[in-house]
Amino acid sequence: MANLETQILDEVIVKSRRKMLSLGSAALAGLAVAGVTKANAQTTALTDADILNFALNLEYLEAQFYNLAVSGVTIDHLPTPIPISVNGGTGGTVALKPNFAKVPFTDTAIAAYAAETAIEEGKHVTFLQGALSTAAVSMPNIDLYTSFNTLAAAAGIGPAFDPFASDATFLIGAYIFEDVGVTAYHGAAGSISSKSTLTAAVGIHAVEAYHAGLVRLSINRLDAGSGTLLGYTQKISATRSALANPGGKPLSQDDFGIMNTTVALQGTSATYPVTTLVDVDISESSAATSYSQGFARTPQQVLQIVTGGGAGNKGVFYPAGMNGTIK
Amino acid sequence: METKLTNLVDKALSRRNFLVGSGTVAAAAVLVGCGDSTSTTTPVTPPATTLTDADYLNFALNLEYLEAEFYLRAATGNGLSSTDAGSGAGTVTGGAQVQFATSAYANYANMIAQDELNHVRLLRAALGSSAVARPNIDLTAGFNAVASAAGIGSTFNAFADENSFLVGAFAFEDVGVTAYTGAAALLTSVANLSAAAGIQAVEAYHAGIIRTIIAGAASVSGASQTYLTAANQISVLRGTLGGGNETTLSINSIVAASSANAIAFARTTDEVLHIVYGAAPAAGVKSGAFFPNGLNGNISVTAS
Repeated sequence: MANLETQILDEVIVKSRRKMLSLGSAALAGLAVAGVTKANAQTTALTDADILNFALNLEYLEAQFYNLAVSGVTIDHLPTPIPISVNGGTGGTVALKPNFAKVPFTDTAIAAYAAETAIEEGKHVTFLQGALSTAAVSMPNIDLYTSFNTLAAAAGIGPAFDPFASDATFLIGAYIFEDVGVTAYHGAAGSISSKSTLTAAVGIHAVEAYHAGLVRLSINRLDAGSGTLLGYTQKISATRSALANPGGKPLSQDDFGIMNTTVALQGTSATYPVTTLVDVDISESSAATSYSQGFARTPQQVLQIVTGGGAGNKGVFYPAGMNGTIK
Repeated sequence: METKLTNLVDKALSRRNFLVGSGTVAAAAVLVGCGDSTSTTTPVTPPATTLTDADYLNFALNLEYLEAEFYLRAATGNGLSSTDAGSGAGTVTGGAQVQFATSAYANYANMIAQDELNHVRLLRAALGSSAVARPNIDLTAGFNAVASAAGIGSTFNAFADENSFLVGAFAFEDVGVTAYTGAAALLTSVANLSAAAGIQAVEAYHAGIIRTIIAGAASVSGASQTYLTAANQISVLRGTLGGGNETTLSINSIVAASSANAIAFARTTDEVLHIVYGAAPAAGVKSGAFFPNGLNGNISVTAS
């Protein structure tokens, strides 16, 4: 293991130096802008492989969640298995509740969305493994049981939360992941040096946003005006924001749950109640700083969310941390 | 704080990038040379210089003007203010407030209208004095041309009712996603890339919402099947005009992405122009459908 790590580190150093030499100071300035230098343990510039492996860790998590919800089995046990052990590494475990079973969907549309998303997240894993080739990391240990309970308690939703219990809880579970995926790819885009890799990453970024919009719309439909599910999304968003910004809340909260708000659309004096289904601040009063852009998060901010701010970036969904250079 | 800071940094870097100008031309030339769109026939009106980030952002701004006018008019009956449309802005034909029967749909229209208005403001702010004004936009002839070419009928009023509105929204959103995905790798400034990716995500959220509503309604209502069919006819047309890059919408396939790897499609500026001009792929196309006088800015005539 030490040999493998040493080997990877050597590669990283060589690639990083080469990249710096070839791209010059502009590339370094770009990395600083993207905030990547804030990430833990980043004393050298990140390579594309580092970033794609970081994405691969996130895709392992999403693919396991959706495929377990739909099929009841981990991705390496699907009819067409997706490997979790690659390049001689050891695939991690997936922690599930006792007597785990797939989600008993009753809403056919939500069952269909789940099935589609499971396939698409699986394809993202396969794509990234293929793109990374010999540099791809294996799946780390993943927790889909106590993780949700811990987050639910932290968010003030309750002492326990089972995302595999129903249509509604499944959507809330999906809600936790999708916007994080969007912000992670957005934050990483500026650090990618290969143009073809960038196009692929931006393309995956869009698909995560399609999923996020789909999930938010479906939650709003199931909520049916009761406010319960919308309240969960607001609590989760507030928790994500707090985890990503441990030094204190930003002036403008950087994560928005589904909520009814009011905008005064230009050219009319009327106001409209609006259900925000996009993770942006759309309030016109703050238009000077709010341009309806998706948020970008640094890898470290993403790590703080998915590990619940755990020491050494270990905890919650990744009890032993991620695999790769960014962890 | 971070969002505000990022915005400020983005703005500062964008301006600096435009001022530097020539310093980025060489890099842009290398990137543009890799694209399919510039490798063939001589354009009728060749761009004055190699394309810059400002050119791509202005290209995006034209598309945002179109979307903002569509959604603002559908939601409120009124379009962009003269301030947001820019000095010397072109006219807008067609568009009216949609009489929504479903309050949730009206709310989504309001939300998207606000987002698209914000995108116009974002790009205008990022471009500063380089921002182009709104070109002439025709929401009547545009949808009629699309409907006719797609085989939906000789006319199509996207403002007639809420289902027609959804089909109209469908026509735009995925084009926006593919345009931003295609442009991302052409941008030289990291700040501009971040801005483009941020808008792209929001367009994809919108597209996910619109596609889910259309496919979901059709799965429970025979009457709504008509609108899903119309949306897919438009999808086929976009594929014909815009280099493929489409998947059939159904309750089992909401996301528009490659079936091979579940990655969203990317379109060249030429492919996007062919779609919004309602024109078959060819060089020298400079106007049509939604843009009767073409786009404003340096990217307005197809090169292939």
